[in-house]
Amino acid sequence: MNRKLLTMNIGTALAGMVLIMAPLTPVAAARLGNATVLNAANGVTINVQSMNKTMSDGKSVLFWVWCAGGGGGGMGGGGMGGGCYPSGPTLELGVGQQLNVSLSVMMAPQENAPYNGHTIHWHGLDVTQSEDGVPETGASVLGDNYKFTVDSRYVGSHMYHCHVHTVKHLEMGMYAPIIVKAVNSAGAFVDVINSGGPTYDYEWNLMYSSVDPAYHSAVGDSTVFADYNPKYFLINGNEGRSTSAPAETVTAAPGKKVAIRLLGVHSVNTSFVIKNASGSSQSFTVHNKDGYKLPSPQTLTSLNLSPGQTADVMVTLPTTAGSWYPQVTFKNLRNGGSYSGGTVYTRLNF
Amino acid sequence: MRARICVRVSARHWLAVLLVPLFLFPIVVSAASYTLYIKAGTHTINGAGGATLKVWGFTDNPSAGPMVPGPLLESHEGETVTVTIYNQHTLAHNFVVRGVTTDTASIPAGSSKTYSFTTPKAGTYLFSDTLNSNVNREMGLYGALVVRAAGGVNKAWTGGLSFDLERVWIVSDMDKPRWNDIAGNGGTVSTGTYKPNYFLMNGMGGHDAMHDPNTVLQGAPGKVGLVRIVNAGQFDQSLHFHANHFRIIDDDGLRLSSPEYGDSINVQAGTTAMVLFPLRAGIYPMHVHSANLETANGVYLNGVATLLVGQ
Repeated sequence: MNRKLLTMNIGTALAGMVLIMAPLTPVAAARLGNATVLNAANGVTINVQSMNKTMSDGKSVLFWVWCAGGGGGGMGGGGMGGGCYPSGPTLELGVGQQLNVSLSVMMAPQENAPYNGHTIHWHGLDVTQSEDGVPETGASVLGDNYKFTVDSRYVGSHMYHCHVHTVKHLEMGMYAPIIVKAVNSAGAFVDVINSGGPTYDYEWNLMYSSVDPAYHSAVGDSTVFADYNPKYFLINGNEGRSTSAPAETVTAAPGKKVAIRLLGVHSVNTSFVIKNASGSSQSFTVHNKDGYKLPSPQTLTSLNLSPGQTADVMVTLPTTAGSWYPQVTFKNLRNGGSYSGGTVYTRLNF
Repeated sequence: MRARICVRVSARHWLAVLLVPLFLFPIVVSAASYTLYIKAGTHTINGAGGATLKVWGFTDNPSAGPMVPGPLLESHEGETVTVTIYNQHTLAHNFVVRGVTTDTASIPAGSSKTYSFTTPKAGTYLFSDTLNSNVNREMGLYGALVVRAAGGVNKAWTGGLSFDLERVWIVSDMDKPRWNDIAGNGGTVSTGTYKPNYFLMNGMGGHDAMHDPNTVLQGAPGKVGLVRIVNAGQFDQSLHFHANHFRIIDDDGLRLSSPEYGDSINVQAGTTAMVLFPLRAGIYPMHVHSANLETANGVYLNGVATLLVGQ
C-alpha cells in the first residue's frame, strides 16, 4: 500500500487560511481522506498493478488497481504519483482545462483476448467517442492518451474506470474519482459545489464498491459472472464494519462546511445516512446528481445511490466538538433487503 | 390481431385519403383495439451465452408463439383502449395495466375477457399478468402501453417537452434453471430464490439489442430521443448512458417539471421512467451498470445493453 497521507494538521491550517485569505485570493479547501490527489491537466500517467488485500475475514482477494505516475502536482498528491488502491488516485480537472492522462498497460495484469488490455472510461464526463474508452466502439486496449475539456455544467463528481470486460474489470478495483472544479480567471480552482453554488471548507470523496471474490478469480465468459454474491462492501477501498473500525476517519474544524462526494461504482443498491454519536440521523443537502447541478438543492436524511450514480452533498458541522458517522448500507437488487455485514461506516471528527 | 382505428384527416390530405382503404375513413371517436392471446412456448436469446427458454407470453398473432415482451399497445391521451385476451394456456392468467386498470381477477384457462379503459395521461405503462407470485410475469407475460400526447404531436405529453424520435426499452430478467425450466415443465417454483441468469433488453440479449433498429437510439446529432423505459423484471436496473446526460422527465408516472439530469437512472423493478436524450455524433453504449446484469449467463455485453448512435 502506497498511499499519500494528508495530515489533519495541514487540513486545519488550510481551513484557517481560507478564513483569512478568502476575500483576497481563492485558497483550495482541504481534502479530507487518504487518497492521492492529482491535477489531471498536469500530465498524469495511469498504470495498473496487482494488489492482494486481506479482508476482514482473513481471506485474501486479488485486486487490479490504478496507480499514478507522471506530473500531477495537485493538492495532497505533490506530483509523486502512487495512489495504488481501489478508489485511487483521485483526479481533479478545472473547467476548460485540458485533461492530459496517459494509460500505460505495460506490465499490467490482464485477461486473455478478447478481454485483454485496459482502457479508461470517463464516467459522467460525456466525452467524444474517441476518448470514451469503450473497446467495442474503437478504443485502444493497449494504452492510450486521453485529452479533452469539460464545461461548467460538469462541476461535481465523476468517476474513471476501466471499460474492458467491465463485468470483471470494474469489480477488480480499477476505479477512482475524477472531480471537476470551477476555476477563477487565473485558472485556480474555486471551491464551489457547482457552478454558482455555495463554497465549502473541506471536501471528502466516498467511493462505494462491492466485492464478490468469485469475480476476482474467474476470467473470460465464465458463468460465474451470471450471478453476483458480494461478500465485502467498501468505501474508498476499505471495509468499515463498525463505528469503531470505520473505513476512513477524517477530522475537520467545527462549524465548517464539508462537501461529501458520493461516488457509486458498486453493483447493488445503497442507502446513505449520516448519524451522530447517539445514532440520530443528520440532515444533509444534495446539490448535484451525476455531476450535474440539481434544479434546487434537496435537504434529506437518506439518499439512495444506484450503480453508476454520483451525488454531491454538503453539511455544516456543529460548532461544538464531536463525531458523525456517514455510512452506507448495501442492499440487494431484488427486494432492497440489506446484505449481511452490508453497512460500511466512516467517521468525521470535528 | 391488432386493429388501429385512429385516423386524423384534414382537407389538405384528401388526396391521400382517396388512396387508403375505405374502412379507414374518418371516425369521430378515437379508439384503439387489440386482441391478444396468452400462450406457452419458447423464446431464444441469441449470441454467446444465449439459450432457448420456456416462456409464457402475449401475442397478437393467433397462429404464432408467444412474444417476449408482448405486443406494444399504443394510444393517445383520453382515448378508449379495448383489449380482448384469449387465454390459450393451461393456467389462469390476468391482464393488468399498472396504474390504469384495476381488474386483477383471473381469466381461466381456455376463456377470454375484454378490458376497456380510457388512457388517463400520456406516459409509459407496464402491463403484465400479476398472478402467481411473480412467476407469470417472470415467464414473459409483460409488455408496455404507450400513451402519447393528443393530436399526434411529438411532445412527451400535451404541453410537455418535444422530442424528435422515440424508443421503448423494456428491460427484464429471467432465471432459467430455477424458474423457467421449472414452471415451463409444470413444476412449482420456489419463489424465495431468484438468481436470474438472463437480462433482457426488449426481449433480447445485448448482442442483438445493439443492432436492433427498434431498440438502438439512432438519429442525427442534436436530435432528441424520448426513451420510455419499463422495468418488467424483478431486479432494479441502473441504466448508464454514455455520450450525454439525459434529462429525466417522468419518474414512474411523476412528471418532473424542473430539469434534473443524470447519466445513470435507477428504474426499480415494476416501474417506468422517461428520459430525453440528445444524440451526439458517434457511437456510444447504453448499458446497465450492475455487473451480472450486463451478461447472458455470464457472457459480457449480451445482457442489458444497446447503442446510442448520432449519425
